[in-house]
Amino acid sequence: MLLREVEYARPTSLDQALQLLGASDGARALAGGQTLVNVMKARAASPDVLVDLGKLDELRTIAVSERGLELGAMVTYSQLIRDEQVRAARPILADVCAQIADVQVRNRGTVGGNVCSNDPTNHLPPLLCALGASMTIVGPGGGRTVPAEEFFLGVYMTAVGLGELLTQITIPPGGRDGFASVTIGADGTCIVNAAANLDGEPVVAVGCVSAVPVVVRPSSTDESPLRESVRGAVTDPPGDVHASSEYRRHLAEVVAVRAVRQASERS
Amino acid sequence: MEPVTSAVVTVTVNGETYEREVEARRLLVHLIRDDLDLTGTHVGCDTGSCGACSVIVDGELVKSCMLLAVQADGATIETVEGLAQDGELTPLQQAFSDNHALQCGYCTPGMLMSATYLLRNNPEPTDAEIRKGIQGNICRCTGYVNIVKAIDAAARGEVSA
Amino acid sequence: MTTIAPEGVEAPQKGFVGQSVPRKEDKRLVQGQGVFFDDVKRHGMGYVHFVRSPYAHARIRSIDVSAALALEGVYGTLTGDEVAIQTDPFFEMSTPPGNEIKDYALAVGKARFMGEPVAAVCAATRELARDAAELIEVDYEPLPVLVDPERAQDPDAPILHEDAGSNVVWSGLFDWGDYDAALAEADRVVRIERLHFHRFSSTPLECSGALVEYERATGQWTLYCNHQMPGVGAIWMAPSLRTGIDKLRFVTHDIGGGFGNKITLHPYFVALCLLARKLNRPVHWTEWRTEQHMANTHGNERVFLDVEVPVKADGTMLGFRVKAIDDAGAYPRYEPLGCIIWSQVTPGCYRWRNIRVDFTQVCTNKSPTAPNRGYSRMQHLWFTERVIDIVGQQLGIDPVEIRKRNYIRSEEMPYETPNGCIYDSGDYARALDIALDLIGYDSIDERRRDAEARGRLLGVGIGSTLDSGTNNFGQSQLLNPDLQFSGNNEVATVRLDTFGEIVVTLGTVPQGQSHETVASQLVAELLGVTPDDVHVRPGHDSFFNSHAGFSGTYASQFAVTGLEAVKGATLALADQIKRLAGVILGGVDAEDIELVDGFARIKGNPDAALPFMACGAIINANNAGLPPELDDVTLNCRYVYRPPFQVPDKERKFGNLTLTYATQIHACVVEVDPETGVYEIVDYAAVDDCGKRIHPQIVEGQVHGATAHAIGAATHEQFPYDEDGNLLTANFYDYHVPHAMDMPPLRTGHLESPSPMNSLGTKGMGEGGGAGVHAFCAAIQDALRPLGAPIVDDSCNPYHRVWETIRDPERSRSLVRVETR
Repeated sequence: MLLREVEYARPTSLDQALQLLGASDGARALAGGQTLVNVMKARAASPDVLVDLGKLDELRTIAVSERGLELGAMVTYSQLIRDEQVRAARPILADVCAQIADVQVRNRGTVGGNVCSNDPTNHLPPLLCALGASMTIVGPGGGRTVPAEEFFLGVYMTAVGLGELLTQITIPPGGRDGFASVTIGADGTCIVNAAANLDGEPVVAVGCVSAVPVVVRPSSTDESPLRESVRGAVTDPPGDVHASSEYRRHLAEVVAVRAVRQASERS
Repeated sequence: MEPVTSAVVTVTVNGETYEREVEARRLLVHLIRDDLDLTGTHVGCDTGSCGACSVIVDGELVKSCMLLAVQADGATIETVEGLAQDGELTPLQQAFSDNHALQCGYCTPGMLMSATYLLRNNPEPTDAEIRKGIQGNICRCTGYVNIVKAIDAAARGEVSA
Repeated sequence: MTTIAPEGVEAPQKGFVGQSVPRKEDKRLVQGQGVFFDDVKRHGMGYVHFVRSPYAHARIRSIDVSAALALEGVYGTLTGDEVAIQTDPFFEMSTPPGNEIKDYALAVGKARFMGEPVAAVCAATRELARDAAELIEVDYEPLPVLVDPERAQDPDAPILHEDAGSNVVWSGLFDWGDYDAALAEADRVVRIERLHFHRFSSTPLECSGALVEYERATGQWTLYCNHQMPGVGAIWMAPSLRTGIDKLRFVTHDIGGGFGNKITLHPYFVALCLLARKLNRPVHWTEWRTEQHMANTHGNERVFLDVEVPVKADGTMLGFRVKAIDDAGAYPRYEPLGCIIWSQVTPGCYRWRNIRVDFTQVCTNKSPTAPNRGYSRMQHLWFTERVIDIVGQQLGIDPVEIRKRNYIRSEEMPYETPNGCIYDSGDYARALDIALDLIGYDSIDERRRDAEARGRLLGVGIGSTLDSGTNNFGQSQLLNPDLQFSGNNEVATVRLDTFGEIVVTLGTVPQGQSHETVASQLVAELLGVTPDDVHVRPGHDSFFNSHAGFSGTYASQFAVTGLEAVKGATLALADQIKRLAGVILGGVDAEDIELVDGFARIKGNPDAALPFMACGAIINANNAGLPPELDDVTLNCRYVYRPPFQVPDKERKFGNLTLTYATQIHACVVEVDPETGVYEIVDYAAVDDCGKRIHPQIVEGQVHGATAHAIGAATHEQFPYDEDGNLLTANFYDYHVPHAMDMPPLRTGHLESPSPMNSLGTKGMGEGGGAGVHAFCAAIQDALRPLGAPIVDDSCNPYHRVWETIRDPERSRSLVRVETR
């Protein structure tokens, strides 16, 4: 409803941001705020210091290099959806971002925020795992790159440590992608989602069923072995008012199959 | 740079510039409603779900309950009060009235800002695009039927005098 | 969107009644100039935040406010101990033991639902009030929790209210016709073990709240608020505060939706009144969304057990028997009225005559209930529709056929139901035909095959309901013969101001129903002016002195009670104007005066005309020499409309309980993905008959909104609790209401069967969502028929429930047994 008292700073450079984040254990990055402000309103978490990344234009770039599509962590969903480079390089990203909530949220919410909050129902964690993305993390000691599958550690927990900042998400070239979900209402919160990529060996990442995306590499894209490998990997999904554990497990198989089907239809 | 618990925020709202000292934790919607006395923007929920607080900040449609006032320092903001000029309703506002797109009027300011933003960026939206454009605005009175109708009418210039 | 108006409906008259005139309310609302109570500010006002119980059931051992009081900027606090000393418990309507329940503004000694307010703190800013609330320490002793209404009467059930000693709020048997004879006559008896109607609410976008001022000199409280039924609000609050009714001034202006959820705000408001007095400053409280979901109100949850339906072989339904358990939550506030209000529509739309209902209402450790849109009739009508559909399915009779066979026919109107209610008018079969036509029922089989080819199951469902409007509060005496409530009323005052301006004040409290506009249409037509010439004051103000005990906006009655009051006041004013003009224009009879374009003039001699301005000026400021026969001409006419009700027969529980009955027939077409249980409503039609439509566009708007509420309720909107009494959908994140992309294509149609029960031919309307809840349930049941013919036994069917139904059709099928005689 209303936040607790908090300190606020709006750095104008990445170095300044890192300094502020490193200065206190209770400092947190404020990106789009579409998750963090809600969490703070509910007083479920109350950082001592908010480091507003809003002025860090260097984190808002989108570029294509030999590594692939490079998204600055502060790129908003709307910005990504509008970007020609994304449409050309990896349209699935735009398709999925366009399903997130509503235009107000998409105008503020960032790709970096989506992955760093790692709410189990988020769209981007499973998608980026399936696409083989890598995350660039910068800290006082320098920078490092973490593959998506190793980036997500737990609910609201990622490889970004205290005093560090996600600066970029890099998606390698590719395009045989698929994404499927069951949501609460149109463009609503995901009950279960799955992303698939068939550029190399098939990869399927299922979201909403565990603290982190569950990644499976099925022996084939045929329905039966695919369902079996998903069933084997999704062992104990959470139950809540929208879905029992059993229902989620069932849906996980279904959306995995649909994501794969969609991926195979893209050349 | 030192973090602060409060700051002076300068915002230009509907063409007028205001300066207020606010706590860092104050939400933008409360700056607008309580500190600037612009009560047209409404609060309908506490999870950023309903869109009653929608305003346009630096040209982008946002939910003002999901921004801190301090984040808007230096920004240009448009609220519902800035739509009509000298009591002259915009075609969109008139279309809302013509088509009975409001009953209790509580969601209406946010709905109008979303529709204004939509038509600015997409002057000839389809039915599906209209619905997507107001997907972040909850209405409990109208079932959205007449709201969609009104936005469509405004887009096509079919508005009473 | 398609609209169908059948032949025979009158073309709009040249007057304003029947026209969709521009709405007066719009100009301010589209400019963000509406005045909602949270917009009102007072110098020095304090913001209030309530401390709420985190337990569904707990003894309150102690409350320590000292840390909160020590915080700079905190003005003061209020706890249950103070409330218990300074106020008396709220008036309870039930018979023993329910009447022993003690209900106060804050929890006293015990919290009985999660979120119940336990203490209040007032501070200089909203944020500080929130901070201070966290510093208040409450020591709780958790108690066992009761969330299942079917367990409330178990010997080992936790008792919520020790003073009552039982969780039963009210219990009684309704028995009309001769059910035993009907059972004996039946060719088949269909038995349904259990049906469940779930908790949800229409969640108005504006939350509840008030800004309360207390004037020490006079003991006068003023509440700038959004209470939608101030007449009874004052009746509850005044005795509790030990003050006179006039000391509670309710002022409403614009209200952001109510739908019945802003009727039982008196506990919060009493707390605010006490704080305003204690702290000697205005106090301001706005409910948060989470608080509204947890601790405002929900619609009644109702379980229907041991349903028994005697039927003839040709599908004629002879009657039904059922045991109903209604869950009122932790405190009965508007309850137990829900225990009788369903009987306004005992047989639903059908002609069965032999009905036996064993009705019990219980308390549970959940949010208290309130008359949410459709109140108590929605639950019952859903039940009758389920019975019709299930019986039809069991006997192999088509849902349209079985309805037409059993619908009350238009030629039987006015129709007296088995318990003496008079259905005034309506043509259900015709409305059904219109609905079916709108959804293309003739080509449904083709659409079914088409859906099948895409791997989807298509289903069609019908929902037929009645919106009974204008209550006879005498029905409360059927629950408790000692209650002193009966009849109904509404008030309007219409006057000519000093300069001849027409000013209207209403007792009603609109929350979007366009009363200013509709009232002005009627006044304009009767006074010979235009709606623009009629100024209707927005909102309600006790100091307008234009209200009575039942004033408010609820229970689908404005078009009858509100407008009859307006009509009465306007006709009285017209008569006075004519008498005055007659005298001024030279001894002319009032009958020979007509009112045209703001003038009172002699018929046949239009030049002999007195403008309204002159009339107003004469009476108000220039009245020397007026003859004695004009002594009673004040040009300020207050009229109290009293509908023609009798106190019902308490022995037989028989009598007319509502004045008008609007019809709603909805048809829903749904496609289900059998692999996931996910569905999509692909077509929808709503046909409404509310008698004479004063403003067709406004009526249509109500139909749209009610339909959206129905769709939300039938699909994802629910307030489930876990076994510890935690509400699982406490905000809009988890409680999913329809957004713009969730709405199906909506087609509407209408009939106008005028009501003979009032001079305008109107019927109250707006609560017609029940039809949609059932139409959707029926469509799901129809869609799933190829998968083992399960039945839909719950009013809420989110994806997971549909999937479970697909997986285990036997579970629901086994709830139904047919006995062949």
